[in-house]
Amino acid sequence: MERQVAYIALFAALIAALGFVPPIPTPIGVPITAQTLGVMLAGTILGSKRGALASLLIVVIALAGLPVLSGGRGGLGVLFGPTAGFLVGWPLASYVTGLIVEKSRAGNLFLVSSLAAIIGCVIVLYACGVVGLKVNANVDMMHGLKGSLIYVPGDIVKAIVAGFVTQQIAKARPGILLSRTSS
Amino acid sequence: MLSLTVETKSWMHRWPVETKLLLVCLFSLLMVPVNDWRLALFGLIAVALLYASAGWAFAKIGLVRLRPLSYLVALLFLYFVLTARLEEGLLVSFKLFATIGFANLVTMTSRLDDLMAVVEWLAKPLRFFGLPPRALSFAMGLVVRFTPLFLQKSELLHQAWRARSPKKSSARLLVPLALNVLDDADHVAEALRARGGIGSHKGAQPTNKNKS
Amino acid sequence: MPELSKDSPADANKGKAQGAGITITRLSHRLDETPIFSNLSVTLTERRIGLIGRNGSGKSTLARLICGLLEPSEGEILTHGADLFKDRKTAMETIGLIFQNPDHQIIFPTVEEEIAFGLENIIGNKKDARRRAKQFLEKFGRADWAERGTYSLSQGQRHLVCLMAVLAMEPKVIILDEPFAGLDWPTTKRLYRWLDALDQQLLMVTHDIEHLESYDRILWLEKGRIVGDGRPEAILPLYRKAMEALVDRDELVLDEQDIARQLAETGAHQPDGEV
Repeated sequence: MERQVAYIALFAALIAALGFVPPIPTPIGVPITAQTLGVMLAGTILGSKRGALASLLIVVIALAGLPVLSGGRGGLGVLFGPTAGFLVGWPLASYVTGLIVEKSRAGNLFLVSSLAAIIGCVIVLYACGVVGLKVNANVDMMHGLKGSLIYVPGDIVKAIVAGFVTQQIAKARPGILLSRTSS
Repeated sequence: MLSLTVETKSWMHRWPVETKLLLVCLFSLLMVPVNDWRLALFGLIAVALLYASAGWAFAKIGLVRLRPLSYLVALLFLYFVLTARLEEGLLVSFKLFATIGFANLVTMTSRLDDLMAVVEWLAKPLRFFGLPPRALSFAMGLVVRFTPLFLQKSELLHQAWRARSPKKSSARLLVPLALNVLDDADHVAEALRARGGIGSHKGAQPTNKNKS
Repeated sequence: MPELSKDSPADANKGKAQGAGITITRLSHRLDETPIFSNLSVTLTERRIGLIGRNGSGKSTLARLICGLLEPSEGEILTHGADLFKDRKTAMETIGLIFQNPDHQIIFPTVEEEIAFGLENIIGNKKDARRRAKQFLEKFGRADWAERGTYSLSQGQRHLVCLMAVLAMEPKVIILDEPFAGLDWPTTKRLYRWLDALDQQLLMVTHDIEHLESYDRILWLEKGRIVGDGRPEAILPLYRKAMEALVDRDELVLDEQDIARQLAETGAHQPDGEV
C-alpha cells in the first residue's frame, strides 16, 4: 500500500515538475513541452490504474489551487476554460495508455509504448479536449477537431519520445515497469 | 511551493469553502441557459464587482491570472467571427470570463488545506474500495515535497548535459530523471513503512500538515 | 570496488600552473533575485585549489559560473582566456565538472556511451568518439566496462564513471563539487589517489578538509565573500576553529581583522573580494 501511494504521488510530482521544464528539442526540429510527456510516462511506466491515479492526483491538486500546470497555471477556473477537456482527460489518457502496454505483454516495448501513447494521449485525450471545447466554449466538434490537428504531429513525436524513454528505463532496470510486471 | 491563495484578507476569505464551491456550481449552471450576450456581460460585470469589493490590489492579481486566458478567448472570438457567429462569439467570451473569473475567486480566497479537505470528503466513498483515510493527505504532502526536488534533479541533469554538449537539452534526460523518481518512490515507501505505514488501522497517525 | 590499473596517469610536476588559469573580474551575481557575489575578483592559477565554506556560501554557484553553466549577472570570468558561458565549444575542451551524486550526472545506459558522449561533441563523429572511448577505457584498465550498464554499477563505480567521462575529454581544468560525499573511506581514498595523479588544474569544493592539506591554495567562502585565501597551513586551522565554535553557537563569528592579521603574518594572500 505504501509503495502504491509513493509511486502514484511521486509520479504526480514528476508531472508537476515537468510543467516547469523548458521545451525539449527533438531531432525533427519541433520542440516538445514536457508535461504531457509525463502523463504518457505515467501510463507506460506505472500501468493503467496507477498511471491514471497519478494523473488524477495532479489534476485535483492543480484545480485545488497549486500552480503546477505548464506556465504556473492552476486554480478552479481552469475547469471552466476552453482547454478544460485537455486537462480533465489526463487520467483517462494515462489509463488507456497504460492498458495498452499492460495488455501487450510481448512485443517491442518501444513500439508498444509509442503506440499506446498515441492512442491514449493523442486520440483519446484530443477527444476529451474537443468535447470540452464544445461544452465550455460552444465550438463545433468538427471545428474543434480540425483546429486541434495542427498539434497532432508534435504530439506524435512526443509519443515516440515517450516510447523511447520507456524502453530505455526498462533496459536500465529490468522489472521496474509496473505496467509489465504482474501486480 | 506557493499556492494560488491570495494572502490579503477580504470578506470572501471568511466564507466557508463548501459554500463558495456550491456558489460556483450554481453560477455556472445559471450561465448555461443564457443565450443573450448582454446577460452574459451583466454576469461578467457582477463578477468584476466582486473582485473590486476585495480591493484594487486583489483585483489586479485576478486580472493577471486571467491574462493567459485572454489570448485563447481572442482566438475563439476570431473563430466565431470567421463562422459568421459574432453575437455567439460575444456570448461565449463573456461567459468564459465570468465563469472562470468566479471560479478563480474561490481559489484566491480559500486555503489549500480547506480545499483539499473537501476533496478528501468527496473521496470518502472510496474507502470501500480500499483507499485508506490518510492516503490522500499523505499523497498531497508528497507531491508538494517532491515537485521542487524533481525540478532540482532535472536542473542538475541539464547541467551535467550542458557541461559536455553544446546543446541545451535533450529528451534523453528523462531517462535518468524517471529512474531517480522510481528510486525515490522506493525510499519513500520504506520511510512510510518505518513510520507505521498508512494502512487503515486506527491509532496515532503522523500528522502531515503542509502549509503552502 | 574499483581497482587501480597498473598504468595510472604519471605523477606530473607539482605546483606548476597550467596556462593562464581562471581569472574572475568584478563578479556580481544574483540567484533568483538574491545577491550572492558582490564585486568578487580573484585569479586562480595554482594547480590544486580547495574551495571551502558552509552550505549556502556560494561554492556550488561559483563552480557553475566558472564552468560557464551560468551567466554572471555582472563581471567577467575567463578560463584560459575564454569566456566559457559564451563559447560552449571551447568550454568542453577546457573545463570539466563533476558533482556530488552520480544519479544526477549519468545519462546513458552503458559506460562506453556515457564516456563517448562528451567526446562526440568535441570530435563531431560518433564512430570516432566510440573508438576513443574504448581506447580510454583500455588505458584506464577497464576495457571490460564498455558494455556494462551504468545502472548496475556500485556507487563507487558510478563515481568513477563520472570521473572517466570528464577525463576522456582531456580538459585543462576540472572542478569537483563535493565529489565523494557518501562513499566509504577506502573507495574515497582510491578515488582521491586518481585525482592527485592528474596533470590538470583541480578546483575542489569539499567539506573533507583533511584531503586539502596537500593543496596549493585554499579559498574560504562565507555568504559569497572570500574570508580566507592562502596556503592550507594558514587557512585550514582558522576554518576548523570557526567551525568548531559554530557547534555551540548559531551565528558564525568571524573576526575578520584577526584573520587578516594572521594571514599577513604567515605571508599568505589577502582576501581580495570586498563587498
